[in-house]
Formats: sequence, structure tokens, C-alpha cells
Amino acid sequence: MRKPLKIKTKGDKIDVTVPGEKPTVGHLHPLTLVKRKVEEIFQAMGFSVIEGPEIENEWYNFDALNIPKDHPARDMWDTFYLKNGLLLRTHTSPVQIRYMEKNNPPFRIIVPGRIFRHEATDASHETNFYQVEGLMVGKDVSAANFKAIIDEFLSRFFGKQVKSRLRPSFFPFTEPSFEVDMTCLVCNGKGCSTCSRTGWIELMGAGMVHPNVLKAGGINPKNWQGFAFGIGMDRLAMMKYKINDIRLFYSGDLRFLEQF
Amino acid sequence: MVFSYNWLKEYIKLPKPEKLAELLTMHAFEVEEIKKAGKPPHHNKGKRRGAKKTESALVWREGKDYVLDIDVLPNRGPDCFSHIGIARECAAFTNSRLQIPKFKLKEDKNLKTKDFVTVEVKNKNDCLRYTARVIANVKVGPSPKWIQERLKVCGLRPINNIVDATNYVMLETGQPLHAFDLDKISNKKIIVRRAKNREKIITLDNKRYNLDKDILAIADVKSPLAVAGIKGGKKAEIDKKTKTIVLESANFDSRIVRKGSKKLGLKTDASWRFEHRIDSSLTETGINRAAEIIQNIAKGKITSGLVDFYPKKVLPKKIKLDYRYLTKLLGLKIEKKDVKQILKRLGFKIIKEEHPILIVEIPTFRLDISLPEDLIEEIGRIYGFQRIPAAFPIVSLIPPKRNFEIFWEDITKNILKESGFTEVYNYSFIGEKESEVFKGAVEVENPMSVEQKYLRPSLIPNLLKNVIDNFRYFNEIKIFELGKIFIKKQDYNPPTASSRAKGAGPSRNKKQIEEKRMLAGLITGDAFYQAKGVVDSLLNKLGISNVWYDEYKPTPEQSKISIWHKERCAEIKVDGQEIGFLGEISSGIFKKTKVVIFDIDFEKLIKLCSEEHEYQPISQYPAAIRDLAVLVPLDVKVVDVLNKINVAGGALVRDVDLFDIYEGEGIVQGKKNLAFHIIYQAEDRTLKSKEIDKIHQKIIKILEENPEWEVRK
Repeated sequence: MRKPLKIKTKGDKIDVTVPGEKPTVGHLHPLTLVKRKVEEIFQAMGFSVIEGPEIENEWYNFDALNIPKDHPARDMWDTFYLKNGLLLRTHTSPVQIRYMEKNNPPFRIIVPGRIFRHEATDASHETNFYQVEGLMVGKDVSAANFKAIIDEFLSRFFGKQVKSRLRPSFFPFTEPSFEVDMTCLVCNGKGCSTCSRTGWIELMGAGMVHPNVLKAGGINPKNWQGFAFGIGMDRLAMMKYKINDIRLFYSGDLRFLEQF
Repeated sequence: MVFSYNWLKEYIKLPKPEKLAELLTMHAFEVEEIKKAGKPPHHNKGKRRGAKKTESALVWREGKDYVLDIDVLPNRGPDCFSHIGIARECAAFTNSRLQIPKFKLKEDKNLKTKDFVTVEVKNKNDCLRYTARVIANVKVGPSPKWIQERLKVCGLRPINNIVDATNYVMLETGQPLHAFDLDKISNKKIIVRRAKNREKIITLDNKRYNLDKDILAIADVKSPLAVAGIKGGKKAEIDKKTKTIVLESANFDSRIVRKGSKKLGLKTDASWRFEHRIDSSLTETGINRAAEIIQNIAKGKITSGLVDFYPKKVLPKKIKLDYRYLTKLLGLKIEKKDVKQILKRLGFKIIKEEHPILIVEIPTFRLDISLPEDLIEEIGRIYGFQRIPAAFPIVSLIPPKRNFEIFWEDITKNILKESGFTEVYNYSFIGEKESEVFKGAVEVENPMSVEQKYLRPSLIPNLLKNVIDNFRYFNEIKIFELGKIFIKKQDYNPPTASSRAKGAGPSRNKKQIEEKRMLAGLITGDAFYQAKGVVDSLLNKLGISNVWYDEYKPTPEQSKISIWHKERCAEIKVDGQEIGFLGEISSGIFKKTKVVIFDIDFEKLIKLCSEEHEYQPISQYPAAIRDLAVLVPLDVKVVDVLNKINVAGGALVRDVDLFDIYEGEGIVQGKKNLAFHIIYQAEDRTLKSKEIDKIHQKIIKILEENPEWEVRK
């Protein structure tokens, strides 16, 4: 770090091209900035921000989310285990159940937080990273409502008109399930190498909350329905700031962090 | 899983490969890759998140085959790990007719299957169905080119006409089959049973496996012939001399295959399919199709009748679909005739229609469908999820709840940022070495590496690592982190069986691991007072008063392992309650440079934060400042001097500022000089000089009551 410039001159005349004396301020982590932006947008649409524990048990992380034991679907989440049936949550979805247990619908929440995956790290995979979960339950909350909310979120987040596209997917906790693509920001949907010439970028998983999940949360699926989604916060940050390696977020490298 | 384009085309009229890939992606499953057959497979073991690769300039020519790498969703294994299954999907979204060629089985009336082989299944929960057929007088040899080509396109190695036929049928229908040499089976009896502990098998690839009672075996009266649903054994292998074969087409329990496959570390095309479950009705179709092919390509006589263990026949489910719910859930109106057409193309039957209700019969191969929501997904995706419009929900204006924890987190981070600190996010893990210094760490059962063997019991070790990593580029570092730590609880009792039975697992307050948010900041250099100032200013801005710093007095035992420099650290207290530590890190544990750290329990801090703030009226009368310097022994604490000044000065002393501490040249050995500004001010009048002098003298007098203290005049 260089020493700040000391200026001592005589007379009234100043040189306006001399660099100003900058106050020393620090920097917030890019993921903090992204988290705040996400929270701000969803709060403006009436979503409350909720948090939950990072250490979970199998019930909240799997069973209650309709992922039974000994089911191949569990392999979709590579999990870190601790002793006594505890584990590091593999998604923020357990908070859906914890919230439903204590609150009556209608409601809309988002859940930002750190999650863990037992995966080899590379430029796009980390052992811990961030996710934001969304859940909206009401009398007639539909997939069309989800699409409107997510289009609005993306457009506000990226500061330009962005569209989403829903494709079939499978998650045990939603039915129907969607894979959500968004307009490629590099080419604005025209097709380029970033999006494999499709004009679309894979963004997140979503769907209509599975009746078994509502039941596990103590809500009668005959009367209530809704959508849920989960977005990788690191991925949002990478797209927003054009960062090409997820590991930079957890490197503590000040040459990286001081850019934010 | 890879599929042959030409093979699919046998069942249905298809668009060109690239278009087909796009349609599959939008209506069924993502296509990872399309490539010309014959090129080496593009290995993409990564998860679905990985980048997709598609050959850009794909010129399609009639006659040449293409390989589609389709990411079949895990719930669709039962029907779509097969060419017929994928073709059925295509039929639905292209709205055309699926044509599965019919075949005729020529059984030999004189030979009865049950005279050749008997089957005994020990436990019907392990094996839901076991179907066997015998083909006598086969001629084992290489299979014809068309079969070999297809297998190769799909990544399988041709072996001989018998084995190839069974693999072909697996790729076609999804039913794994196995062929045994009947003459190598003792007593011509097949027994499906759990393996015995320490029982051994040598598999077809000449590998030796130790089995146990968690693994299902196919055996004769003497020893195992195969690991059920996973791999065949050497003992009853088909070879050139094989004359009579037994075909096995079975349905093994998915859990036992999954468990066995994991235990043996053996994943095969068959085990993969069984793990994802298979329709029990399929064994019969599969075995008949295989028998027909074998008869065509390896001659032989098919014995008449099936040996079929099938205790619990699966029947098609019926689901009541409410058309109004379909519209309400998707937020999209689909014409009823379209709904019915889609269901029909997917193989569903509408058995009753009473507006707005449809009663739909689900074919047994759709193991994934059991709820109306499942059917709605089918209709929605084939119709096209991309056709769902964007429509904002109509809801009551319930304002979002305020999250105070996040509110205070944000404020804290802003204050530290403005004080010149940069925020870091470190891993929630620490290594073996750090865990020896930072005690109480929770061990991860399956860590990724030695460096990530434990959950962090403190934010400090990773902050120290940040210093080492950054010291090459920066000579002054100010960083902070706000994150969760995890500490093993000593007095934990595991949940009892009854508390666990309630489903919710151990309750929060009984958790054996304490998980809490900590706030830690670090400054390099001799920066104790700088760090203390940061903490003071932070607490002040969070609306916390009554802050106190206590010398930390560890027990001899604690001090041995303490990370803190024992003469340069303090407990941070608010209202007498300890909320954290402030101090220099002992050079015994960190040698790189001097670092000062504050480490605050954020959960405690949040409870003390307050937005309440009251304005103090500004006095209309002027303040007067008098300086005072006092010489005291080195071990005297500033706070003691301050207290004396405040007590002696009373209400008219508005503030006392320490502005200099000096020891060394010009000062008596063993003493230090403390210099203060004393600010005098009254709220109701201008203080007269005489009045101030009087108080000032009183302060001096009281300070000098201690013979070792000397006010410098």
C-alpha cells in the first residue's frame, strides 16, 4: 500500500489536476453487495427475509423436502456429514419447512444463506457458497406469478430488460419443477459462445411447492399452493461483475476484494 | 445417457438432430451433446450445471447415425433409460404416432421351460419379479453388424450374440437381462437369496468380490452365479461351447441394488437402472423380445412358457385430474382437446370424463406419476412451459417483516467499512493443524481434504491465513469477517429414541453443536489502541453504552494454550457481560507479524444494539478547557486517574480527554506522564474563571493525595 500524498504549497493558486486526498475506507464483499441488492428487490415486492441454521438434520434437509432415505434423488446433493445424524445444509430449502411450521399462509419469503456441497472445487464449484431461496404460498399462487416475479427480479438486478424461460426439470420438493434460463447478458439473447449460441443462460431451479412439502410444513395442500425457487448467489455475483472463478470469493485476496 | 438418433427414428418420425435436441430440452430433458457416431465420447462427468457443448456446424446426412447425450431426469429412469421411452416423449411433443414393431415368439411346444429350470425366491421384498426363459441348442458366436453398431453407438462393447441381444433389449426397453449357461448351474435351480457373510464371487470381468448379507445374490444350490441386478459371475458365463441358456429378466428392489452397488463400489448399466426402479410388467416384454432376437441371430429353440415369480402384480393407478386446478396451478389455460391429446401421446388413458374432472389411468411404466400435480407437470411441459405468461400475483398488501439481525449486520458492516476495513468471506472449515490451537472444533465425517477437516470454531485462524496470503502485496492489512462458527458442546446428551421419533430431530436448545455468528476484525502492526478505538466507535454507533475493557486473567492452564499475548489483551464487556476479546495474537502461534484482533459474539451484540438515541441539549454557555499533566507510576491505569478527576470535578466537568502518554527521556524512571484536557461547562450559566480554578485545584489536590502521583505545574 502506498503512502497518501502530502501536499504543501504557497499562494492561492492551486493545481486542479493534482490527485485528491482520498479518505481511507474499506470495502464490502461482493457477495454482501449482491445479497443486499437481492433483499432490496424482493422486499420491495413484499417478501420477508428469513434465515436459518447452517447445521441441519436429515429431516429438514431431506425427508421433509420429499427426498426419502435410500432414494437416488439424494445423490443430487453431495453432502458433508457430521456425527449424530447432523449435516451441513446442502441448500437453504430446510428453512422453508422451519418457516411453514411457525407461520400460516399466505406468505412470501426469501432465505439467503451459506450452503455446503461435498464437491471437488474448480472455477465454478466450491465446498461452501451462497444461495437465496424464495417461497410464496397463497390461495392461487401460480407458475405464471412466479414468472412475473422472477422476470422483475432479474430486470432490476441486472439493470436491464431480462427475460426468463422455463424448462422441465426434476426436484423432489416441487411439482411441476422448472429449470429457469435467462437471456444471455453477453449477447442479449442473440447467441454467442458464452451461451453456446442458444441465447439463454441456465440460472436456477424452481417449481410449484410439492404437496408433501406443504404437508411436512403443516400446511394443507388442498387449500394452499405456491412456488419456490433457489438461486446461486455466487453465480449472480459472477454474472453481474463478470467474475470467472468462484474461488475468488473465499480467497480473502485483497487485490480482488478492494475492487468492490 | 447416450441414445442413437437412428434407433429412435425407427419408432417415430423425427426432426433433424439439432432441432430434436432443442425440442427435447424444452419439453423433456436437456440434451448435453449431439455428435456424429463413431467419434470418441466426450467425457462429461460433471453435474448438470457444467457448460454444455454442442458441435456448432452439424451437417446432418441421411444414413449416418448421431449420438444424443440426454440428461434423463432421475425420476424418469423407469421409462426413459430406454430408446422406446425417449421415442414416446418425442411422440408427445411432436404430436405424432409412436410405432413399436410387433414381434412374434416361436415357442417349441415340445419343450417346457419348467422342465429345464426352477426358480426359488427367498424374499419377495428383495425381488419383486423374476422371469426366466430357456433357449436350447443355441450357437454362440459374434452378433450381426446391425446389433454391434447400435451397441457401439451407445457405448457398449459387443461380446457375443447372446450377451449382445440382452444388452440390446436393455437399451431398447430399459429392462436389464442376464443370460446364464444352464449346464453350469447345479441342479438346474436358480435361487434368489441374500449372500452369506464372507461369501465370494468372481464376476465376468474376473474381479473378486466379497459379499455379505446386505447384498442380493443369484445362486445355484452351491454358490453365487451373479450379484443380483449388478453383475454376472464367471461361474455360469456364456462361452463358445454354451448350448442351453437361461434368460433372466427380473425386478430387484431398488434399495438393495443401490446399497449393494455402493458397498461393492460397482456401478453398471443394470444397477443404474434398478436403482431408479423399473416397471415390474416390463420383465415379460423384455425377456420375450430377447428370446426372439436370440432365436433369430443364434438359432436355438425357445422352450414354451415362462417361469415367472410374480407375487404382487402391479396395476395401473388412476388419478383424478381437475381441469380447473390445472389452470390455477400453471396460471395458463390449455384447451381441453390439447390436454387429452398430450395425455394420449404419453400413453395415459382417459377412462372417464365429467367436466371439469378427468379420470386418467397411468400406465405401469410411469412409476413417477402418482398425484394430480404430476399429471399437470406432464401436460404443462409437453404443451410448453415457455408458453406460461408472466402475471403478477394479486395479494393482500402485507408488508414484509423487518429482519433485525440482518439490519444490524448491515449497519455493523457499514461502520467497519467506513473505518477502513475490508470484508472477507472465509471457508467454514479449518485444518487439522489449526484445530490443535483452536479447540472444540467439530469434525466433519467426510471432509474434502485435511485442510477442511473441521468446522471453524473461531473466525481467527482463517483471518490469520488471510494475512499470510496478502502480506506479499500489502504491508498494512485491515480486514473483518461476520460469519457462523461451530463449537462442540461438552454437556450434550444425545436425543432419546422417543424424542427422535417425533420427527423433528434434536430440538434447537439440545443441539450438541453450538452454531453462532461472530464478528472478528484484524489489524496488522502494533495496533491495540487503534483496534480498541474501532470497537469503541462501533459499539457507540450501535447504540451500546457502558462498555468496559477488563484485563484478561486466564487460569495457568488456559494461558498455556491461549492464542492471545497475555499482557496485551482484554475482555470486552457491556454491562458487566463479556461479549468478546480484543488483543494482540501471541507470537507463539503467529510469527509473521504483529496482529491485533477483536473477536465479538455477534449474537450477544445484537441483543444489546439499540436504535434509540436521545438528543442532548447543547449548552448555550461557553466551555473552558484547562490542561492537566500528572506523573504516575507505570502500572497505574488511566481509568483510575480519569475516575478521580471525574469524581473530584463533579457535574461541571463535562469531559476529560487524554491527549498524551509519555514515558522515557526527561521523565523519572518508573513513571509516566499523562496529559489531559479537562472541559468545564455549565448548562445554566457562564462559568467564572475563579469557579473553574477552584474545581481544578480540587482535582489536583485529590490526585496528589496519592504520594506517588505528582501533578506537574
